[in-house]
Amino acid sequence: MTLHRRDFLKYAGAGLAASLLARPAFSATSGKPHVVVVGAGFGGATCAKYLRIWDPNIQVTLIEPSDKFYSCPMSNWVLGGLRTMDDLIKSYDHLPGYGIKMVRDSAIGVDTDQRVVATQNGGKIAYDRLVLAPGVEFMTDLIEGYDAAEAAGKVTHGYKAGPQIVLLRKQLEAMPDGGVFVIASPPPPGRCVSGPYERASLVAHYFKQHKPKSKIIMLDGHFDVVSKGPMFKAAWKKFYPGMIDHRPYNLVTKVDHASMVVTSEFEDVKADVINIIPKQRAGAICGQAGVRADTAGVWCPVNGVTYESPKVPFVHVLGDSVASNMPKSAHVSNNQAKICAAALVELFNGREPDPYPVIGSTSYSATSDHTSGPIAVVMRYNPNKEAYIRQPGGGASLESDEVNFEYNKAWFEHIWADTLG
Amino acid sequence: MKKQKAVVAAALWLATGIAGAAETAAPVCLIAGWENPPSVCAAHTKSIAATCFICHGPNGKSSAAIPGLAGQDKAYLIAAMKEYREGKRESTVMKKYALGYDDSEYESLAEFFAAIK
Repeated sequence: MTLHRRDFLKYAGAGLAASLLARPAFSATSGKPHVVVVGAGFGGATCAKYLRIWDPNIQVTLIEPSDKFYSCPMSNWVLGGLRTMDDLIKSYDHLPGYGIKMVRDSAIGVDTDQRVVATQNGGKIAYDRLVLAPGVEFMTDLIEGYDAAEAAGKVTHGYKAGPQIVLLRKQLEAMPDGGVFVIASPPPPGRCVSGPYERASLVAHYFKQHKPKSKIIMLDGHFDVVSKGPMFKAAWKKFYPGMIDHRPYNLVTKVDHASMVVTSEFEDVKADVINIIPKQRAGAICGQAGVRADTAGVWCPVNGVTYESPKVPFVHVLGDSVASNMPKSAHVSNNQAKICAAALVELFNGREPDPYPVIGSTSYSATSDHTSGPIAVVMRYNPNKEAYIRQPGGGASLESDEVNFEYNKAWFEHIWADTLG
Repeated sequence: MKKQKAVVAAALWLATGIAGAAETAAPVCLIAGWENPPSVCAAHTKSIAATCFICHGPNGKSSAAIPGLAGQDKAYLIAAMKEYREGKRESTVMKKYALGYDDSEYESLAEFFAAIK
């Protein structure tokens, strides 16, 4: 069957059409296009790197406040004692070798008319195209007492790697045998839906070895173990019988760190260690740039070919901040980054970008120190429907095993190398 | 199979006045059944090949347990994808991936990775 798509300018969206027609896409000063990328995570670093690999004529500035990369993937392995914090920390040192200008600073505002990014240290950086890949911002005000509890060092989200993972691991180590560890996870959509279930599995692995009378209570905003459910449930039964108490439909609304009580819509739970993952929205810079343009004003809709905001021309968004039916995962962020980079290269060179980008999404979760299982799905962009369509045949493994544990470790190595190496 | 639509699309593209668009109403290539000018097929291959890097290593060069793709024989790679799709070859995730791509993409991906030294 042969299919015909609508002409390019029609489906590419108003912002893109305007950006192609209204003015030349290149900086007046150098004659070379300048792309500013905000955030050097799996989305931003990958985009910056592949822009330079695919077209060395493009100037790329990457703004990132951290001097090192902290990997969220594998952070649960640290909590479970399978790895140490050092294993999560990666260097940005290879990126300048691609000709990327690294700016160690935070983007705090965007003038989308003048196309200038303002930074914390007073910098003003002009762009032809801006790529925002800031990750998520936690909506902590939805949980009464959360901010005070976090400030007191009593409660963590542990959903950005770094000091929060160090603190949570210390709290778990200090917990007495027979203690209660509460993990509260939000309803979708949010970062890494399978993460809390992997976290429960690997902390249970740690408890089983060192404090076997302890319990894990999951207060889950979802209706079930929604990601890799059969796999996790089978592993919990096999490896940690009776240790993980999963309580669905149990959205947390309040925490009191003085009494160490977590309150959900249904119950109060007394805990020894509390981990609450609040609901999230697109990173703060997305709000400043005016691209949190979904109906709730929380996530950022994008054109599926270029990842440009349909609301604000020349501003592209990648990764967890994007409003879409794609999982919010490292794998998807890296993949979106390449699609965006490839599209920008074609546009800057006066060619049509790939109108049918394909996103592959693989996510591994470990269930013990020797077993993992994957979920994999392929999503193809349909230019007539202007949406990514899930291809048949995708889904999660029903069981975790040793082979996938080896592939899980390889996946870490390869995605880090592809993003940063 | 009408090919006019893609030609019209290419002409429209040129008519937008983008400098450097060298291709004219050239032969049409297909991606998953969609008609395209050749430059689009080249962009598509580059983009989907980069998708594979995430698991198989940058440029398909492996440094871990997931096998590399770089420098593999083209016919071997195409045959492997077809066998994954049909369930004739054991896999963890590759059947799920094989079902998401079509024969023309197996071919262009295999050619891409076979050419990497």
